[in-house]
Amino acid sequence: MVLLESEQFLTELTRLFQKCRTSGSVFIVFNTDDGRTKPVPRKGHIEGFEPADNKCLLRATDGKKKISTVVSSKEVNKFQMAYSNLLRANMDGLKKKDKKSKNKKSKATQ
Amino acid sequence: MSGSFLASDFRNTFENCILFVVRVVLKYRHCDGNLCIKVTDDVVCLLYRTDQAQDVKKIEKFHSQLMRLMVAKESRSAAMETD
Repeated sequence: MVLLESEQFLTELTRLFQKCRTSGSVFIVFNTDDGRTKPVPRKGHIEGFEPADNKCLLRATDGKKKISTVVSSKEVNKFQMAYSNLLRANMDGLKKKDKKSKNKKSKATQ
Repeated sequence: MSGSFLASDFRNTFENCILFVVRVVLKYRHCDGNLCIKVTDDVVCLLYRTDQAQDVKKIEKFHSQLMRLMVAKESRSAAMETD
């Protein structure tokens, strides 16, 4: 699992989408990130560790290659704009509704 | 998939059943032309599948809202007011 900076993650994500155009899926997963680096022991708790609640871990894969990044509340605005544009630009292979909307319009005018 | 994403049961059920978003999964297949979003709090799991281009923008907006929810420290209802 490659942990990248936000910008690099977005570049690699674009590449993943382009690679999977002919076949395969792109999976994007996001969870909250505590910032923990050690596993929690069965008894007691990790000393000196306070769980952070302002970060989220974003992971992407095409089944083979894995990339990830951590987004905190400070960079969420900037990251989100770029990320949204990326998703909208790359998820363009879905069906478009043409005939039904034309029928609705003609019915509305009547 | 009949109906739009916003009007669907997915949105209503999300607001009623999911207490604290633990994990969101987005799966996109360009070759098959479908998009799937799954939201879970490890108790309830909601899944929405679509092949309509009109849903992409709405799902992406919803996805962004979820990201903000996770990253924000404020309560869930306050974050969802931006809808």
